[in-house]
Amino acid sequence: MHYPEPIAKLIDSFMKLPGIGPKTAARLAFYVIDMEEDDVLEFGRALVNAKRQLIYCSECLNITDRDPCFICNDSTRDRSTICVVQEPRDVIAMEKMKDYRGLYHVLHGVISPVDGIGPEDIKVAELIKRLENEEIQEVIIATNPTIEGEATAMYLSRLIKPAGVKTTRIAHGLPMGGDLEYADEVTLSKAMEGRREL
Amino acid sequence: MFLEFINVKHFRNYVQTAIDLNPSVNVFIGENAQGKTNLLEAIYVLAMAKSHRTPHDKELIQWGENYAKIEGRVSKNSGSIPLELTLSKKGKKAKANHLEKKRLSQYIGLCNVVMFSPEDLQLVKGSPGLRRRFLDMEIGQIQPIYLHSLAQYQKTLLQRNALLKQTNRKAPSVLALIEILTEQLVELAGEIIARRNRFIRDLREWANQIHRSITNDHEELSIQYRSSVGEVSDETDLSRIKKEMLSAFNQVFDKEIERGLTLVGPHRDDLQFYVNEKNVQTFGSQGQQRTTALSLKLAEIELIANEVGEYPLLLLDDVLSELDDQRQTHLIGTFKERVQTIVTTTSVSGIGQEMLKDARSFYVKDGSVASVKD
Repeated sequence: MHYPEPIAKLIDSFMKLPGIGPKTAARLAFYVIDMEEDDVLEFGRALVNAKRQLIYCSECLNITDRDPCFICNDSTRDRSTICVVQEPRDVIAMEKMKDYRGLYHVLHGVISPVDGIGPEDIKVAELIKRLENEEIQEVIIATNPTIEGEATAMYLSRLIKPAGVKTTRIAHGLPMGGDLEYADEVTLSKAMEGRREL
Repeated sequence: MFLEFINVKHFRNYVQTAIDLNPSVNVFIGENAQGKTNLLEAIYVLAMAKSHRTPHDKELIQWGENYAKIEGRVSKNSGSIPLELTLSKKGKKAKANHLEKKRLSQYIGLCNVVMFSPEDLQLVKGSPGLRRRFLDMEIGQIQPIYLHSLAQYQKTLLQRNALLKQTNRKAPSVLALIEILTEQLVELAGEIIARRNRFIRDLREWANQIHRSITNDHEELSIQYRSSVGEVSDETDLSRIKKEMLSAFNQVFDKEIERGLTLVGPHRDDLQFYVNEKNVQTFGSQGQQRTTALSLKLAEIELIANEVGEYPLLLLDDVLSELDDQRQTHLIGTFKERVQTIVTTTSVSGIGQEMLKDARSFYVKDGSVASVKD
């Protein structure tokens, strides 16, 4: 059977979101029809505003609604340390920890030649430019522990070290509060590699 | 260890079949193209989460169906574990003890199998890729972390090859990236070569012992590991392998840039076999090549038993008739008591009486299996 055109369009739009197939899209679309009109308007406005009002922070390139972003603008934060992450989502993960008081730099991707992504396609040049600021003493590289994340980390360290800035990589290994016996072999072997003296 | 039963659903030509297996010898008898090998394949897939015949899981699903499912229960010293593997267009799902295993490396190795099929006779004579596959599958079974290193290696290799193919590959920034990927590749290659080296060292010992007893002490079998770092001696340690690997990369670098391809590494390794110091690949007779392949496979059984602490299942696909009585007797003598053996054959006449004693037989016809009552 054919859907009336407005709902067919709505289903198509939902399907553009990640993780949503035709069935979920149809369920969501029919739910929207039953919603209060005000709620629907609010929903639509939120979608448009998120797209229109968000910009990239001119310093750390995180998404923000004002420039510079609230982290870069916060005078109580430690301006000598930059934590380099892959995506804006990673900043949020780091901030949840509430322990890190330095600044961030969002790369918006990792180097992956197979996908045609080189250093010039992610925000590497912007990071190097920020290092001209004498204040910065340490760069913490927190890309994901994948092949691409590691390669990007190594590439960055080669660029940063000659500038005389301390470059560190976050540790990988066992999750806290976890049981050794439930850890998989790969994580365990990484944890052994990264052991430290007590 | 042994498999207590196996259920297959929508697998190849089987709609649904349940088979109770004998802890020692099981014989599946049937004409060609009835589904004997498919049964062995199902057991293999249940254990290894992939087929020995095809890299395409889609081929395993019965024509017109959406999924294939294999269930079984493996009995081990530590108790018995229900296993379940479902293949669908979306991928595969493996369950052990009714719990889904997110990483296949946590699943593979719960049930160990050694398969000897007519294709394995190519192990000696065929392309180097077959011998690498043999190494990878067998080491992966014993050391799941090897599979992880190997997958990481393949990914890094793809990334590096992509860089080597770029038109601006001689630009300094690209060269720097290639160098980084070379470093990563060397790390992973070192681990892979060291593990292969250790495996081959153990394999060599067992294989020669078995080969000697199959040939009545007439032949000595030795195995050489040809890696990109030249001859690897048994003592060669990890840091030396990595150092040699790095210098091997330095030597071929200009050529790699020219050809746009990674030219050294474990993806180009090979094995060589010598019988009485003569290369079997080039100078061996058909029979010698066959015996060599058999010795290798049987050595694996001992190797797995040594590493895992229990004997694996032995799957023999239509190869018994290829072996003369003496070799068959050897097979039985060595393994009958300890190893669950599952055999396919077109007729029982090719199989010695001793093998059939205490065996459970099944007839396979057109995708259905019937137990033969004695």
